[in-house]
Order: sequence, then C-alpha cells, then structure tokens
Amino acid sequence: MTTPLWKRVIARVLEGLLALIFISPLIWVVVCSFSPQPGSAQSKGWGVANYLTLFGYQEGLPKYLFNSIVVSLVAVVFSVVVCTLAGYSFSRFDYPGRNLGFMVTLSILMVPYASLLIPLMVWFKDIGLNDTLLGVGLVITLFQLPMSTFIMRNAFDAIPKDMEEAAMVDGCNSFQALFKILVPVVKPSMVTVGLLAFLEAWNNFMIPLYLSSSAKSTLPLAMVNMRQQTMGVIDYGATEAGVVVLLIPCAILFLALQKYYVKGFMAGAVKG
Amino acid sequence: MSFNKVTRALAGIAAAAMLIPLAACGGSGSSGTASTEGIPAKGTDDGTEITLWTRSPLERQAKNVVEAYNKSHKNQVKLEIIPNDDMEGKVGGASQTDSLPDLLAGDVVRIPYWSSEGIFADLTKQIDGLDNLKDLQQGHIEAGTVDGAKHTLPFITDVSVMVWNKNLYKEAGLDPEQGPKSIDEFVEQAKKVAALNKTDVAGSYLAGQSGGALVFDLFPSVWADGESVMNDDGTEATLNNDSMKAVLDAYKELANTTNGLGAGSKEETGATWTAPFANGKIGVMPYPNTATTALFEAEKDGGFEVGVAPIPGTKEGSSSTFLGGDAMGISKDSKHVAQAWNFLYWLMQSDTQKEVFADQGDTASNVETLKTAYNDADPRVQTINSVIIDGNGKTPKSPAFNEAFNAAGSPWQLLVQNAVWGNGDLKSDNQAVTDVLSAQ
Amino acid sequence: MSSVSKSAAAVPEHKSTAKAQAFRRGIMYALPDWVMIIVLFFVPIVLLVIMACSRWSLLGGNRGTNFPDNFVKVFQHKLFWPSIGFTLEYTVIVTIFLLVLGLGMALIVQESTKWNNVLRTCFLLPSATGLASASLLFYALYSPQVGPVTKMLSALGLMQDGGSVLATGQSALWATIIVIVWRFSGYYMLLMMIGLQAIPGDLYEAARMDGAGTWRIFRSITLPLMKPTIVMCLVYCVTGSILAFDQFFILTKGGPNNSTMTVVQLIYNFAFDSKKDLGMAAALSLIVLIALVIINSIQMRGMRDNTK
Repeated sequence: MTTPLWKRVIARVLEGLLALIFISPLIWVVVCSFSPQPGSAQSKGWGVANYLTLFGYQEGLPKYLFNSIVVSLVAVVFSVVVCTLAGYSFSRFDYPGRNLGFMVTLSILMVPYASLLIPLMVWFKDIGLNDTLLGVGLVITLFQLPMSTFIMRNAFDAIPKDMEEAAMVDGCNSFQALFKILVPVVKPSMVTVGLLAFLEAWNNFMIPLYLSSSAKSTLPLAMVNMRQQTMGVIDYGATEAGVVVLLIPCAILFLALQKYYVKGFMAGAVKG
Repeated sequence: MSFNKVTRALAGIAAAAMLIPLAACGGSGSSGTASTEGIPAKGTDDGTEITLWTRSPLERQAKNVVEAYNKSHKNQVKLEIIPNDDMEGKVGGASQTDSLPDLLAGDVVRIPYWSSEGIFADLTKQIDGLDNLKDLQQGHIEAGTVDGAKHTLPFITDVSVMVWNKNLYKEAGLDPEQGPKSIDEFVEQAKKVAALNKTDVAGSYLAGQSGGALVFDLFPSVWADGESVMNDDGTEATLNNDSMKAVLDAYKELANTTNGLGAGSKEETGATWTAPFANGKIGVMPYPNTATTALFEAEKDGGFEVGVAPIPGTKEGSSSTFLGGDAMGISKDSKHVAQAWNFLYWLMQSDTQKEVFADQGDTASNVETLKTAYNDADPRVQTINSVIIDGNGKTPKSPAFNEAFNAAGSPWQLLVQNAVWGNGDLKSDNQAVTDVLSAQ
Repeated sequence: MSSVSKSAAAVPEHKSTAKAQAFRRGIMYALPDWVMIIVLFFVPIVLLVIMACSRWSLLGGNRGTNFPDNFVKVFQHKLFWPSIGFTLEYTVIVTIFLLVLGLGMALIVQESTKWNNVLRTCFLLPSATGLASASLLFYALYSPQVGPVTKMLSALGLMQDGGSVLATGQSALWATIIVIVWRFSGYYMLLMMIGLQAIPGDLYEAARMDGAGTWRIFRSITLPLMKPTIVMCLVYCVTGSILAFDQFFILTKGGPNNSTMTVVQLIYNFAFDSKKDLGMAAALSLIVLIALVIINSIQMRGMRDNTK
C-alpha cells in the first residue's frame, strides 16, 4: 500500500509551501529590521541602526531587559509552584471543595483582563504592590493559572496512584512523595507551564502599562511607546527591531524545550 | 465538569469577599486636592524631585524643556512618557489611586474634560499673577478654565498649517512659491499634482479614521470663513454650514479624482498620517507644525523642498489654524505644588521660551517670543508663527469633545467618512455629533 | 475560610482520620492557588461589581450607587448589538479555521520523521511570538508604506494599488483572522497531535484489515476518539475569541468606522476612550462574564453527554 511517488512529491511540495507561509513573516521581519527604510534610523544601506535606536531609548534597553527578566522570573516561579501544588491537590486528594477550587481556577479564563486592570490598580495601591515588578508578575501569573493548573492536574492524573502509595508506605509524607517521586515524572508538564508563563510575561504589554511606571516598564511596553515618537509617523524600523528582540529568546526557548512540552502537553491531554 | 458550580461558587465567594474591607478602595476624585495657598509668585526651588507626564508624540520637545530646567535648577524634573493612545487610561487609573504626577500635560482638546473632573489644582491666583499673562497663548489657558477658575498653561503649541511639496509643484507646472489661497485653489493644485500620474504620488492626503487629525485639518477653513463648529458652550455642533460643506465637497472631489487623495486616506487611523507627505508622495495637505521641523531637516539633507502657508478659508484672503498641542497643569495629587509652580513659572518666561523652543526650531507659546526670537529663523517658521500671532486660530472647547470628535469611530469621523467617501447627509450627521455633545 | 475549618472539625475524628487527612493535605496544597485567586481575582471582581452598580467615571471616581443605570446605558448603546454580532462572527470563523487547520496539520505531522520535524517547527514558531508582537508584525506587513501585502495583492489585481487591507470592515476582519490563525494554529496543532497520539495504533490497523479507506478511518475512528480533545480546543478557542482584544486594539482600533468593534474593545472604549465611564465598562464586563459562563457550560455539557 505505498503511495505513488508523484503523489508524495506533490504532498511534500504543498507541505513545504504551507510551512513557508508560516515562517515567512518571521523571516521578513528579521530582514526588514536590518534593511534600509525611509522614516527609520536605518534609512541608507543595511545595518543595525534600528537596534541602536532601541538600545538607547529613554532608560535604555538593558533597564527594560532587566525589568522584563524580573517579571518573567516572578511569573515562571509562581506559575510553576502554584500550579504544581494546586494540580497535585486537585488530582490526588478527595475532599469537599476540590472541584470548586478547580472550577474557580478555570473561571479566570472567562474574565476580560482589560476590565480587571483598574480594580487591580486601586487594590494594589492598598496592599502596597503598586508600581512593583512583583505585582506585575503576579497578575500575569493569575492569568496563567487556568491553563496551567489544568495541565498539571491532568499530568498528576496520568500517574498511577500506587507510585506514591508505595513511597508513603516507605515512610515518606505526602510532601516528600510529591518531590521525590512525582515531580520527576511530571517535570515535562512543569517545563510546559513555565514556558507558557515565560512567553506571556515576556510579551504582555497591557498589564505593565497599567500597573507600573516607566522606570519599571518592560520591553514590550517600551516598544509600543517608541513606535509613536513623532506625531503621525510610525517608526517601522524600530518596531521591527523590537519584534525581533522580543522574539529571539522566545524562539530559542521554544525550540530548545520542544521535547519537554510535547510530552508535557501529552500528559495534560490524557483526560482531555 | 459543570459550570453551574462556577456560577454558584462565584456568587458565594464574591459575597464572602465583600467582607474584606474595601472602604479604602473607593478612590474618589476629590480626595487629593493639592493646596495652592501661600505659594511664592515664582515658586520654590529647593532641590525637590518633581514628576512630569507627557504623551509620546511630544517626547522631543518635552525632553528639551526638562533638560534645560534640570540644568539650571536645584529641583529636578523626572519626565515620564506615556503612549499617546493610553494617556487617558493611565491618567484615569492614577487619578483613582491618587497617584497623579506633580505636573501633567495633555492634549489641549482633552483638557476641558480633565479640568471639569477636578484633575488639576486651581492656579487662578498664580496664573493671574503672571506679569506676562497677556503674551501667553490664550487658547491653552482658556481650555483649562472651569467656572472662571484657571488650571492650565500652554506647554507645547502645535498648529495646523498648509504644506506643499515644491518639487512636485514644479513637475506639475505650478508656481512652487505659491501655496493655495482658498479651498478652490487647494483642489486645483492637488489635482495638478494628481495628474502627474506618478507611482504612489497623490494630490493630497487625509486621515479618514482619525477624528483628531480631521478636526486639525478641516476646522481652520471653517473658522477662516467666520463660521463655527460648535456653539460657545460646546453643547451643540454647528457643522451644518456652507463652509464645512464646501470643505468636505473639496475632499470629496479629490477622493473621486484618480490619485486625488493618497492611498490609505480612507482608513488612515492617524498613526501614520504625516508619513506619506514626509516621504515626498503628497502634493499639498494641512499638516501639524510640530512635524515640519523634521521636514526642514530632511530638506537640508537633500530632501524635497517644502512650502508653508496658513490654511485658507473657502474665500481668498482669510486664514485660520487649530491651536492644538498640549497644555500643562499641576495635578490634584501633587505634594510639591510650590516646586511644580516654579517649573511652570520658569517655562512661561520669554527667555526660557527662546531657549527651549525658539532656539530648537520649535514653536513658543509666548507671543512676545514668537515676535522677537525668530529673526534668524527660516522664513517658513515665521509663517507658522504668524498664524499664532494673528489671533485667528481657535481651540474648540467642550467636555465631550473627545467622545464627539477624537474617539475612534466618533460621530464626527463618521460624518467625514460619509461626506467624503459616501453620500452623507450633513444635517443628520451633525445631529449625531450634537447628541453626544449635549449628553454631558 | 472559617466555614471550611468548622466542617472539618465536625467530622468525627476516629471514624475518618484518612478523610480528614486528605482534606487537610488537599487544602494545604491548594492554598497558594486559593490565596492568589482571592487576593488577585475575587477582590477585583467584587470591585468590578461595585463599579458596575455605581456612577463611576474614569477621572472623577466613585459618585454613589446608580444600579441599574449602567446596564441600561450599555444595552441602549448603539454599538452594543453590532459589537456582539461582530464578536460572534469573528469567533465562529476563527474557531472553524483553527480547529480544522490544527487537526489537519496535526494529521500531516503526526508521524515523527525528519521532514515532519521541520514542518512541525515551522508551524510552531509563530506561537512563540506574543500576541502583541504578532499584531505589530502584521501591522507592518499590511502597511501600504512598508509592507509587501498591498503590493502583492495589487499585483494580482485583487485590490487597488496602494490601498490597505485594513480599509474595509470585511477585509480588516479577514486580515485579523489571518494574524490569529498564523499565531495560534501551531498551538492547536500541538493539542490535536497529542490527542491523536493517544489513539491506540491497533485500532487503525484493525480498520485497515477490514478494508476501510483513509476517509472512512478518519470519520469512524479518528473523529469520535478525538472528541474530548476537540471539545477542549473548542472551549479554549471560543473563550479566547470572544475575549479578543490585543489584535484588534493594535490593528484596527475597532475601525474602520466601528466595523470591527469586538465586545472587549467596546469595554475598553467605554472605559478609556469615548465614555470614560468605568461603571458602564464594568457592567459590560459582567455581561460578558455571565455570557461566557453560559456558553461554556453548554459546550461542556455537549462534551459530557457525547462521551458517555
């Protein structure tokens, strides 16, 4: 039952074309960020002037990079820890309020986040989190909870219960069982959760816009600001350079962690 | 999985969370009214850090001002740039949490609303005490006046002028030194450029989806004719007049001409509305003067030559302009009112205006400076200044201006869309604008 | 949490130590989740409810209760129904595209060969961009000034020279859909792939033995067994699309002439642009929230009934 060669060739060509369509905007933006363009810093010849614009903007790229990294770290650490523990709880223990907790976590998905920002600003001011990178990271974490808790719960569901029961018999408490026995097994899912949190924290600009001042702003926010420095003109060159700078770490992590998250999602999908 | 549970859970827990003391959450506008009592006439310069917010399109000018102040004073101003589109949300959020900066600058058409909502501290005494009050550009002071109480001073003045591309004019056989003196001439000249039939080159350009750019471009012609766009209270639109109609018809005629209006005019949201002219693709169009500085610089570097003239009315011999830009006041939350006033006082002096605006090629807000400090400047800069000095320019004032004119999809934007690219009924579209203005 | 500890104490200890222990541990592990939800989610939601029932302007703050004025104003606003209509239209189109493409691409690349790994990576890479940067990227691509899209389309005679694909409501809608499909189909492909890999291989073999064709196998084996995965994707996709905001905020701002105004865009518009009325914005947010709870419970029910 082998498919004829010509059919396979056509399939290959079509598949290749489709892949090309998906990848071409990325190639285009990388090329354009170096290419000459009227109305941008790189107006004559090829070069890195757009990146220099980006580098020297206001507080400088290193400052924004630092802020972005801190926010991303907060979001990754909190997402992984909170969701792993919550997933463990919702999967392994049968107690009143378990389903409620899970449902409420999922319901975060249903709130338009733009409408929570003003209440959050008011509230953060009262609890001293306003204009802190921690506060921004925590809010980003909040919106990661539904998907990530879902992934973690299903990851735990996929592990046979006798694994940790055996450990408990050996005298481990549930905490030790979790860390020694279960965490190694659900590691791919944890990596997935961390990756998702990183992607979101690295790219989100609305949340930092409302919750932090310019000294605490993150890279995407600085980029949006920079786009409209002159009335009625968009600096496309700097915008493209910004897209590239934002893209690079995400693409690297995405590719490097591919084997983890494919597994991680897989564990998450067992129960659908 | 049942989502009924979610509903029940949300209701129950929301009720429980009500018990968390929320008293402090009810941010109210009146809580932080900064006191302006007992401020020295020139303010205080004692090494305090004061904060200043402005929007991103005016970053360059704001930076010049802040640098000059910081160099010469003990007080230090910390400048924060807010994205243009998010200014309102950011100010609103800060107002709710009583964390507005000491000094707040905003688009002058937003100022009446901000002032009426109590965002600014009352500066009547201080402003009236300025020796050179009469020299200052009055539109920006008027915009921040509520029931006789003054709140704002001019920060950066942006006016609309007519610009044309002299190179394209020469190619089209037009006199490159003569810009349009009436709307009819504007159409005529734009059509000549359009008739060149060059790739990507068009007669004129219009930001069809930007209410803000449209008022900036179109209102001056109406004012030049002595007509109005709103009643004095800003509660009723009066756009259904012959001048407005003539201006809209002029653009309609261009829209129906091949290459009459530049590609993308109909859907231009304002984000890139000055770019086509700056790239040398447009013959003639109304333009913001803050963007002309870049044109003159490009010209020096071998770019095309630019002509500048006031925006004409439908009849020859009269002109007007939109006195736009940003006004600045001290916010209700300021803890350093005397220091902030020191900055404003300094900024209003003609020496300062010369240093931070005139010498940088920008437009001053002090009429004395406009008259005296630009003698060596490009004659076109003097043309731009003359439209401010002559006093024909206006700043429309209404608390609902933003919703009626500037907001995305505003009734004014729809009016222009209908009139230029559709078959609009000016009377009913004008009524739609009035409905918004009068609702406040 | 006081009611919780009370019910725990009420359980006779000797009878169900195991139960009490499970309860204690369960709550303990879920505690961080609950703390985050209560502090960062419930409190703002309560504030949102208060706002929805108050005269609360953006700059002026709270000026007292006015229930139900905000809801009445929202229902009477001329863009309310058009925005719902547009949001639903957008949701239906995006959902169909993403699910079909996601499943199709998953079927193409499910076998692990070198060629398929390359394809998979290409399909997945766009998912690494943020929604905001993806929108900015396409904003540049669509721009008549710097982007190639206009030139390509006009060369094909599909549009006027130098026009913009964001010029009319319909083309702006499709332009936005393309951004979303580009950004998300790899993601849905991944989810679908995982569902596919959970289907036991011997089922296919048995069917093939019986002489079933590719199409037949797809219909009677793949589709039914993929149902849980598809429903999960459906729920995510529908919820995400109904809450669509960033892409429209950057690409169209609800324009041209309000023709791409989604519901969340309208919330933003009420709060920060046209009305500057947080009360109305909060009221509309609550309406959306309730609608989503209903829509999702219907979808979930569909899944439960059919998988039994």
